[in-house]
Amino acid sequence: MGLASASTATDGMQLCIFDLRRGQNEGQELDKILFFFPADLPFSTQLSVIGLSEGLITFTRIFSPEAACEIIEAERHSHVFYEAETDIWMVMVVEKGKDSDAIWRIDALRKVLKEVHSLFVMFYGSIRAMLEKDPSGGLIRSHLYPFIMDYLSDFPVGKKLQLPSFRDCLKERGTVQMLTMGREAAIEVQSLVSVLDSCAGNSSCYSMILFHDLLVSTTLSPDDTINLFTYAVLRLSPNALSSGVNSWSYIRRGSTSSHFVSGSALTHSGPVSEQIYHSSDTSPVGNNINRVTRALQHGKWYKGKDGFLVTDIWGVDVGSLVCATPTVWLQQTEEAMYLCPYQFKSLTLILLIPVSSILNGEQGVALVKQQLLENASLKILKVEEKLSKGWGGENAYHVSGYRYLLVDGDRNISRASPPGKVTTLAKESLLALSKLRDEVDLEKSRAKRDNAGCEKDLEVSIRAKNNAWAIARITGGKELYMVLEKASETLLYASDAVEKFSNRYCNGAFSLD
Amino acid sequence: MSGKASSSSQPSIGLSGSGALSHIYIQYPPLRCSIPESRGLHYDDGTKLLIPSTSNQFVLFTQQIFSWKTVPFNPLATSTSDSIPEGPILSIRFSLDTKLIAIQRSSSEIQFWIRETSEAFSHRCRSDSENILGFFWTDCPLCDFVVVKNSGLDLFAYDSVAKSLDLVEMRKLNVCWYVYTHESRLVLLASGMQCRTFTGFQLSSAGIVRLPKFDMAMAKPEANSKPVLAAEDVYIVTVYGRIYCLQVDRVAMLLHSYRFYRDAVVQQGSLPIYSRKIAVSVVDNVLLVHQIDAKVVILYDIFADSRAPISAPLPLQSRGFPRSYSSSSRSSGKDGECSEVNNKIDHEGIIYGDNWTFIVPDLICDAIAASSSETPSVLEFLQRRKLEAIKAKQLCLGIARTVILERRPVSMVSKAIDVLVSSYSLSLKTGSYFKGIKTESTSSGVAKTSVARSSTDVSTSRIDGTSIRHESTAGVDSEYPSRASTFSASESEENASSAPLRTDSRDLQLGGGKVDRVNLTGAHSSGPTDNPVFVNISEQQDSELTSPAISPDEMYKFVFAAVEEEMVGDPSYLVSIIVEFLCSTNMEKIKVHPNLYVLAIQLLARNERYAELESFVTNKILEPSKEVALQLLESGRQNIQTRKLGLEMLRQLSLHHDYVSLLVQDGRYNEALRYARKYQVTTVRPALFLQAACSSNNSQHLAAVLRFFSDFIPDFRTTSDFTTYYGILNEMNTSVAATSF
Repeated sequence: MGLASASTATDGMQLCIFDLRRGQNEGQELDKILFFFPADLPFSTQLSVIGLSEGLITFTRIFSPEAACEIIEAERHSHVFYEAETDIWMVMVVEKGKDSDAIWRIDALRKVLKEVHSLFVMFYGSIRAMLEKDPSGGLIRSHLYPFIMDYLSDFPVGKKLQLPSFRDCLKERGTVQMLTMGREAAIEVQSLVSVLDSCAGNSSCYSMILFHDLLVSTTLSPDDTINLFTYAVLRLSPNALSSGVNSWSYIRRGSTSSHFVSGSALTHSGPVSEQIYHSSDTSPVGNNINRVTRALQHGKWYKGKDGFLVTDIWGVDVGSLVCATPTVWLQQTEEAMYLCPYQFKSLTLILLIPVSSILNGEQGVALVKQQLLENASLKILKVEEKLSKGWGGENAYHVSGYRYLLVDGDRNISRASPPGKVTTLAKESLLALSKLRDEVDLEKSRAKRDNAGCEKDLEVSIRAKNNAWAIARITGGKELYMVLEKASETLLYASDAVEKFSNRYCNGAFSLD
Repeated sequence: MSGKASSSSQPSIGLSGSGALSHIYIQYPPLRCSIPESRGLHYDDGTKLLIPSTSNQFVLFTQQIFSWKTVPFNPLATSTSDSIPEGPILSIRFSLDTKLIAIQRSSSEIQFWIRETSEAFSHRCRSDSENILGFFWTDCPLCDFVVVKNSGLDLFAYDSVAKSLDLVEMRKLNVCWYVYTHESRLVLLASGMQCRTFTGFQLSSAGIVRLPKFDMAMAKPEANSKPVLAAEDVYIVTVYGRIYCLQVDRVAMLLHSYRFYRDAVVQQGSLPIYSRKIAVSVVDNVLLVHQIDAKVVILYDIFADSRAPISAPLPLQSRGFPRSYSSSSRSSGKDGECSEVNNKIDHEGIIYGDNWTFIVPDLICDAIAASSSETPSVLEFLQRRKLEAIKAKQLCLGIARTVILERRPVSMVSKAIDVLVSSYSLSLKTGSYFKGIKTESTSSGVAKTSVARSSTDVSTSRIDGTSIRHESTAGVDSEYPSRASTFSASESEENASSAPLRTDSRDLQLGGGKVDRVNLTGAHSSGPTDNPVFVNISEQQDSELTSPAISPDEMYKFVFAAVEEEMVGDPSYLVSIIVEFLCSTNMEKIKVHPNLYVLAIQLLARNERYAELESFVTNKILEPSKEVALQLLESGRQNIQTRKLGLEMLRQLSLHHDYVSLLVQDGRYNEALRYARKYQVTTVRPALFLQAACSSNNSQHLAAVLRFFSDFIPDFRTTSDFTTYYGILNEMNTSVAATSF
């Protein structure tokens, strides 16, 4: 593995996706590779990374067929494994300790892999399905490449990708953040939801409502909710719309957005890969005449006059100049849905209409949109007003004296101190918590393996070098992580502070006794 | 003469049964007065007496006997007769206490007859130039008796000792003619060339109010002719406690309306008329304009701003004579003066609405449901009904059920619900809702077509009264039987018209914490012999249910629960309706019965919308209560998260015993013990914990639990539990020891 890592000093990170069922014959090994980042690595290096991973998977499966290799910790690298689909593996290799920030929480990295895969499936369906459609692998490669590159482009800081490190230990990827609202607002919202869901007549629509970057309501299944919420926060929310252009300027440098609309066969690989990673042979550009939609492409959503968000990512109807409505796949129902986001001030509504229920394509969607405007406009106004009134601003969920992360694993919900407040913590405190979380993750997965269904209660408080307390409490599927820098006195004091927090903000969920 | 106004379906809907297509019915059979040698018929609106005169006596029909519940109508009403001195009778009125009779003998003389003593005295105009136009009794504190003369008003007080009239006040002005109704206490005096200038006085119990002079609008047929307004063309009507004057403009073919305020008279607009001859009456605040030539009645609800009629014009009909036309019913029982009497018939109904039965058959909801999105306005209309509040209420419930069952657009149902909820809230504020839960349960499909049906209208099924109490203690499942009984009772109503009468009342504790008086009335019979009882009942009901407002509990019982049973298919529609209902109640700050929340949980769980259920609970859309928590636990059998929500709610409600028991049940006995120690829960039997610890087959745990109880409960060591489990523990330890060696 040292070999593989050494040659990628440029970025310190490698990411690959491969299919264990492919390329089993000598000389066809390249067939396995569905995606590799950085793409400009020589194939030999790519193959050695994948070969090592494959070897370890095969080996560990002997002992644990269900859950094979999760991680390799080497001296200078960590290899994080994630089996996205049966026999389709994603492996991320990160360099350790090269600089002071390169201290990772493995579970957080795995969540990145999980997230990108889930998003991919939401837009294009499973990798396996696409492989079956085009056994040559050209189709999947041409989709994966731009998609993951677009995804990764959300991580840059300066010149490199900033993956979730110990500094992000008070965040939980793959969860949604909810808005807390009063009963009155909640009823109002629910009333709006029923209007939205009945927009397309008899066919059942789904809806999701966000306020700023917080989830207000959803009628989707939990998994679909996470995916769509992630996408909405990345690309659709007012923040994403306004900041989209700036945050990724580095990667986008030199490219012009007009390239993408041209509809040429080359667009899918796009300037991103051309500029930075060069197109590789494994990305068979020429094989696919259909243009590939880049679902995660930046800065392509804008607000139309009617309040609906539109994008030309999915193409433009040449005759009418109407942008094609994006479609997504729901995991739970395995149904294709039209994605219609609507925005009013800070309120983002996402309406999902079953494709099967709309017979005449764009016209039908336009009709439903019309319906929505007619039926729901007033309610939207009302809800926005109510929520704005109760909105506490960016730091609404800040609790002074505490830096916390609250995760409800059952509901995939998390809430945390605002990022701006977390940055005030000392590095030592964050390192301590990150380490603690690593341990807790391990403990959790062990408990899960040992006796599925039974929940483990856990309480750990550790003292960091700087005398801060890093605390973890798990009970009844809920997790609370906390850093107390000022509770320097005693454990009793720290535990008291947790108790207070629990009673005040968690309905006493963590008050163990 | 009991009039019966009712709304019914339109032809296209098909009124089942009678084929009668009419909104207004005259009660059949009419009151018949077969007095030999009847010479004239008078009606006294002050005392609600119909007074036919014979050559030597009056026969009095008192109509109070016919309470509005008296159906079938009893034509053999008792009458009283008084013999008074011979002489012409131009007009006759009883004093309000019916002790005196005033009889106008000529244009200058009124004779008074004291009934008790059979004494008489007379009152004459002072000068010969004065003509008496009319007179009436009043309950104004200043005077008892008012004479309207062509020279003005004379107000008199009656001196019962001296048996004479004392003049209190005179109001001088020229009067051509006047109109007066006792209900409005308003007398309008017409003057001027065209008789279109009016002066009004209100002689109410609060005193005398003089209204400003005003002119009525009259269109001119030609340049030089000036039509003269006649007394028949002006009507005083009282609608929703407001006094209006309606004036027929024969030239313009319009019915102008004026509203009277204390210090102003404001013209309100005009209604078109389609007949040269019209009559106006009001039944239960609904304005009926009889287009006599066209033989139809048009209904207006003046409360609403719209000038559009409530319904299509349909003929007035006599109930029971399905095919007959209004003319036949109008003349029935009357000799001569056909139209005049007819007016009086209506007139009675106008002012003494309680003689009139305002049956609004549930067919109206079919009509509405089929015809319009106007349901909210229909409900609004019904919610304003004061008479027959029960029927209006029942109808509202029926309409609400129907719109939901028919899956009308949520926005429309929501408006309808808003109407009902805000009406309830208003009635709470004004106090007109007595919380007398007096409800009729009808299955909405049953058409009330006949008199027989309406005789059973009052019957109520009361089983549900007790079952509420049941539900709140026993939890969730008991509502099914109670609901079923509600329905069976209402069905049996059809046949129960001769069941014995039964009243019963009991107190009922509801969720809101108020003690509600529930009056229980069984199905009752309606034979003539029961009349006195009837009067009782109707009065009782009057006092208890003066408003058709529907409480949230009733909404739950008679709308949501009922509908839920009948509803097929996707329950999410009903969920959104419930949300709309909660929205309305929240706006009005009205508490909702927990059973509605329970229902919502059941519906969401049935749809497997657990994630949404969770947000309903966490956002407190479904307010926490024990019922809700128990239902969450119940629904949580299929979904562990939902179960957790239920547990959590129990904990937050500090229902310690339940919480600890459930924890033990889940095998989380350690947690349960911690919790029990913290909150001093001593009501859960130690055996449960010990059993749970024992079944975990962990001797350490069992020992810990034993130790805990030994410390926690004094004397625990002496109980049989301790001995039993101590024995088990020893066994465990020895067996562990045995295997390990």
